[in-house]
Amino acid sequence: MAVRRPAQKPSPKGLDEHLLVRAAQSDPAKFDALYELYFHRVYYFLSARVRDRATAEDLTSEVFHKALANLPNYEWRGAPFAAWLFRIASNALADQYKRSSREHSLPDDPPETSTHQDLSSRDLEAIDHQVQLFGLVNKLPAAQRRVIYERFVDQRTIREIADRLKKSEGAIKQLQFRALQTLRAQMEGGHA
Amino acid sequence: MPKRSPAEQLDLAISAMLARPRQRSMPRTSPSIAKIVTLARSLRDLPRPEFRSALKADLQRRTSMKEAAAPSPAPKKPVQFRRPDFPNIAPYFLVSGAPKFIEFLVFAFEGTERIRVPRPDGAIMHAEVAIGNSVIELGDANEDYPQRSMTTHLYVPDADATYARALKAGATPIHAPTDDHPSGDRWGEAKDPFGNTWYIATRKSWTPGPEGVLTVQPYLHLRDAHNMIPFIEAAFGAQATGVHKSPDGLVRHATIGIAGATFEIDEAQGEVQPTQSYLHVYVPDTDAVYAQALRAGATAVTPPYTAPYGDRAAAVSDPFGNTWFLATYLGAGRP
Repeated sequence: MAVRRPAQKPSPKGLDEHLLVRAAQSDPAKFDALYELYFHRVYYFLSARVRDRATAEDLTSEVFHKALANLPNYEWRGAPFAAWLFRIASNALADQYKRSSREHSLPDDPPETSTHQDLSSRDLEAIDHQVQLFGLVNKLPAAQRRVIYERFVDQRTIREIADRLKKSEGAIKQLQFRALQTLRAQMEGGHA
Repeated sequence: MPKRSPAEQLDLAISAMLARPRQRSMPRTSPSIAKIVTLARSLRDLPRPEFRSALKADLQRRTSMKEAAAPSPAPKKPVQFRRPDFPNIAPYFLVSGAPKFIEFLVFAFEGTERIRVPRPDGAIMHAEVAIGNSVIELGDANEDYPQRSMTTHLYVPDADATYARALKAGATPIHAPTDDHPSGDRWGEAKDPFGNTWYIATRKSWTPGPEGVLTVQPYLHLRDAHNMIPFIEAAFGAQATGVHKSPDGLVRHATIGIAGATFEIDEAQGEVQPTQSYLHVYVPDTDAVYAQALRAGATAVTPPYTAPYGDRAAAVSDPFGNTWFLATYLGAGRP
C-alpha cells in the first residue's frame, strides 16, 4: 500500500538534516555531508531497480550531480531530504529506461518508478535495512571485509581471492563464513 | 563421502547464488545456512568503495569549479546572471533571408516575435522568437558568420499538430510523428526551407526532473562525441547527465547542462552527419568562463565586452567547430 506522508513537525533528526541542507545551500563544499548521509540509500534504491552495476553507478552519479546543481532551488517543507533525492532518482531511472528502449526496442512504458512519497513502508524498510547492512560490512575486521568485497562486489572465486590474499582456500571460506555469521547476528540484533 | 564443514556448505550455496543471480531458490541446505545466504544475496548490491570515493571527489571538484566561476566579490543578494525571459541555451540561426525564417518560426511553431533589430539594408542583425517556454535567436548570415544547418529538439504539447503546421509552412517531411520512437516520446522530424532539422516531440512516458522541460534544446551531432563531454565540463563547468554509450564507447545520447540550461549530443553516424551550431548560453561570469574555456582548448572568437543591451558578452569556438556566444546579464535595460 502506498504511504502518503504529509509534512510533519520536524524530528530532531529532521532538524539536523535541515541544517545540513542549509549549510550546503550556502556553501556547496558542505554538500559532502549530505553525500555521505545519503549515498547508500540512493545507490541501493537504484541498484535494486536496474540490471547491472555500471548502470547503477551511472545513475547514482547523475542523481548526486543533479542534486548538487539544483540544491539552491530546494525548499525544505518538513519532508525528508531523501524524498527529493528519490524523486530525482526516479526520474533518472525513467530517462534511463527511455534511452535503453531506444537501443533495444523495448515497450514504451517505463517500469514503475515510484517517488519517495509513493514508496511503500516496506520499500522504505528494505532501504533502511540494506543501508544498515552496508554500514555493518564496513565495520568488519579488515580481512573479513576484504573477502566480502572481493566475493560479492568483484565476484571473484574463492581460489582467486586465496591467490590474491596469499591464503589457503579453506582460510578464505572461513573468513567468509565468519563475516556473514557476524553480519547475520548483528542484523538480527544479537551478538556474533 | 566426508561431511562438509558449515563454511564449505555456505560457500557452495553462495557459489550457486552468484552463478544464477536471478534464481531465488537455493541448493538444499540447513536453515541456518539458508538464512545466511539470504543475507549474502543482499551483498551483491554493495557499492564499490572506489566508485563511492571517485564520485565524492568528482562532486568536490565540481563545487570548487563552481566557486572559482562564481562572481566576486560575493554579493549579498543572488545574482540574476540570466535574462529573465531566457531560460534555455538558444540556438542562434544565421540564415539567408532571416525575415522569411521568422515567418516560418511564427507559423510552424506558433512562435512569438519579440525583438527585431534591422540593418540599414533591410536585413536582420538580430531577432528573437519565443517558442513555448524558450527562445530562438536569429539573424541574416554574413561573411563572419555564415549559414549553418543546425538541429533542434522541440518539446511541444501536440507533435502531430506542430508537424502538420511545419509542413504547411514549407518544411520537408523526414518522418511524421509516431509512437514507436525508441525514446518513448511521440516523435517526428522535418527539415525547414533553410536546411535546419527539427525533432518535434511530445513527452509521453517519462516525467521531467526538478529542472523541468525546456521547449527548445539544441541537438548537436558530433564526430567522436565522447570527447565533447570532458571538454565542455572543463570549459564551461557543464554537467553531462544520462550519458548513454554503445558497447564500443560511442555516445548514443547525452544531455549536457550549463548553468541550469541544457543541450543534447550524440555521435554522428550514417545519414546523420556532424553539425556545427551557433549557441547562446548565459553563464554566471562571462570573463571567468571565457578564460576557463580557452584553458580547456576553446578558440577565441570575441573577447569579453560589455554590450549596449546590458550583457557582458564574449564568443569562443569549441574543438568541434561550434560557436558559443557567452553572456552574463548585467541587469541593465534592454533595447
